[in-house]
Amino acid sequence: MRKLKYSLLLSLITLLLTGCYDKTELEQQAYVVAIGVDKGEKENTYDLTYQIANPEVGSSITGGSSDEAPFELVTVQGIDFMTATATANSFVAKNITLDHTKVLFVSEELARSESFLRGMQGASRTSEIRRQVNIVVTKEDTRTFIETNQPQLETRPHKYYQLMLGRSTETGIVPQSTIHRFFQLTEGDADLFLAMYATTQGEDDKTEGNVDEYIAGQIPKEGGNPTQFMGAAVFKEGKMIDILNGEETRIALILDNTLDMKDLLVTFQDPINKEYQVAGDLSKKDETKVEVDYKKEGPTKIDVTVPFQLEVLAVPSLIDYTNHKKHREKLKESVEGELQETADALVKKAQEEYGSDPFYWSIYIRSQFKTIEEYEQADWNKKIWPNADVTINFDMNRIEFGKMLKDSDLEEVWD
Amino acid sequence: MNTDKTLKTKELLAIILLFIGVKMSDSTAAMFSQHAQNAYWLIIVVSLLVMLPPFFLLLYLLRKFKDKNLIELIEHLLGNFIGKFTGFTIFLLSFALMILDSRNYVEEIKLLYFPESPTASIFYIFIAVCFFGAKRGFETIGVTSWIILPFIKISMFFLGFLILGQITWYRIFPIFGNGLDVILTQGIKKASIFSEFIILTIAYTSFRNTKIFQRGSKIGFALVSFELVFFFLLYALIFDYNSIEKLAYPYHDITQFVNFGDFFTNVETFFMVFWLSAAYLRFIIYLYLIAMIFGYVFNVKEYETLLLPLGFITVTLGLLTENAVINELYLRETLLTISTPVFVLLPVLLWLTALIKGDLKRS
Repeated sequence: MRKLKYSLLLSLITLLLTGCYDKTELEQQAYVVAIGVDKGEKENTYDLTYQIANPEVGSSITGGSSDEAPFELVTVQGIDFMTATATANSFVAKNITLDHTKVLFVSEELARSESFLRGMQGASRTSEIRRQVNIVVTKEDTRTFIETNQPQLETRPHKYYQLMLGRSTETGIVPQSTIHRFFQLTEGDADLFLAMYATTQGEDDKTEGNVDEYIAGQIPKEGGNPTQFMGAAVFKEGKMIDILNGEETRIALILDNTLDMKDLLVTFQDPINKEYQVAGDLSKKDETKVEVDYKKEGPTKIDVTVPFQLEVLAVPSLIDYTNHKKHREKLKESVEGELQETADALVKKAQEEYGSDPFYWSIYIRSQFKTIEEYEQADWNKKIWPNADVTINFDMNRIEFGKMLKDSDLEEVWD
Repeated sequence: MNTDKTLKTKELLAIILLFIGVKMSDSTAAMFSQHAQNAYWLIIVVSLLVMLPPFFLLLYLLRKFKDKNLIELIEHLLGNFIGKFTGFTIFLLSFALMILDSRNYVEEIKLLYFPESPTASIFYIFIAVCFFGAKRGFETIGVTSWIILPFIKISMFFLGFLILGQITWYRIFPIFGNGLDVILTQGIKKASIFSEFIILTIAYTSFRNTKIFQRGSKIGFALVSFELVFFFLLYALIFDYNSIEKLAYPYHDITQFVNFGDFFTNVETFFMVFWLSAAYLRFIIYLYLIAMIFGYVFNVKEYETLLLPLGFITVTLGLLTENAVINELYLRETLLTISTPVFVLLPVLLWLTALIKGDLKRS
């Protein structure tokens, strides 16, 4: 009896060993922080680039003595994200893990083709790639992008991406573009998805125009990392169709309630002295009001009101806006007008060129329908949106002037 | 005789909230969203409404015939032969539901956390743990449920809180999804998704007094309804109508989605711990109640000895289905449709017999 008891107990212990099926040693993992996807040579294959972080670099434990590179870059051909990791394992010693991927780079060439959406399906099926991962469209092929990208201050790639993406979405020059949102919008089949646009290839600097009227690659600058994040790639039905510049991206973000918008630093023309510009910090504390009056026959009316606040940061013309009510009102009018103009232009472009909207406004019309069938038959993209009568109203409900009451009187200084 | 029965309302509440509340994190959501897309949360509401009258009717009958549990009541009212037959049918249906459901949970664990392990070994260990848990007896189950309940619910509502920033209210529209008719037919057909309420009445006499059960189960019904509708609605608001039907496990998709700020990413394992213990408790309760039903139908006094064979059969039969999709979208769905009339009509049938026999007036 006793023997039986012991042998039973022993055999029970083997049960515990089943826990070892899925054991993974930290040491045996190669953590990918960025995946780059390019068009492969053959149809429907992809060149997949994995940027594998080197955890030894930059950690205080090793005392910074390691001379190894902060990351390793491998490119393999494959038809999806997962099987390609196995191919890559023919020359990477560790098990390639996609759990900690922060960014998904897609080359513009691939994004503009139909095979992009096909490839993305794989990303949603595996549980390794998170829905929080951001999609970034790069002008050049992604391998070149990742190679050329040489951040000086933040060499650890995961930290760099986290900070870079976080900060650039905060300033509103690129939109948040998670895989989650990509699928919601693409499968919802009504609105345009905006993805971050970036490049490391500077082209001829654009010198005319406003500070934000650039797309990545056009920003005149000296020094620093060659990488630029600016503007948004526009996706319609899972396919890239155009690029919005920084200013348009901002307007799109302001008009869209589903995207977070922090403070945006913007410049406007000075309404009194047109040679100068006024710089301000634009913030939206309340939601954009979108009122849709759906008409089955005839154009649907869409009324949009954007309440916002402005904190004036710099007035190079030194006109005293602070103390003159008239001047203030003039500034208010001109700022609202300028925003309105840009927004109207963007709406017009979206209606005529894109045939869909980048603001996720289709959700406001849904309450007019009882079933999905009715809603899909009404057809936002083809019937409602292109013919809609859109009026956008910017409403500045507060203006602040920072901690200075007055600027110095230059006349007196130069006297 | 009540000296050995210590369970009170809070334990019953905990049992209900775990036994039925965990449904929000399995693939039940996926099954419904196949039919109604974003309006699938309304199916739950319909199912609850369908289940509500039979359940309250049953509670009324149980109050009238004091100190009888479900099977005793059936046998008392329907006579020995028909009563045994009905009891056995209930046992078969709920046992089959449990088998398919447990396979589902095992697939879920495997897919999300233990991709390399064979299904069989996860299944064996899962059921083994449930067996040892159930073996401790109903009192222990009740107390354990009560102790562990706050951890599970806090973690789940914490998840709900974290994801709140991602929801878009307008996704609730079009309000009827694929149509009101779909919602109503599905809601009525799948009402047995809440057959657990009927099964639970087998434990009617296991609490300190029957008033506890009367009160506790009503509160439990309300709380669980709220919880399920809240989470199902949440999923619909996070994933749009076309995406929701593609997800097998929306709860786990959300756990992989959220971060605690920038620093703590990939936190799904944190939620997994609580979810796993909730799943264990659900099947501990399930297994125990089913053994109890079997025991009362066949007059097995020591029904706790049935736990091991029943658990073993669960694993053997549960492993038969090929994969999770067939299991959930085909087998479980069909079984739910078949068992709905049984669970919904049973209390009505009992009530009618009692009425005809004149038993209701006497007491």
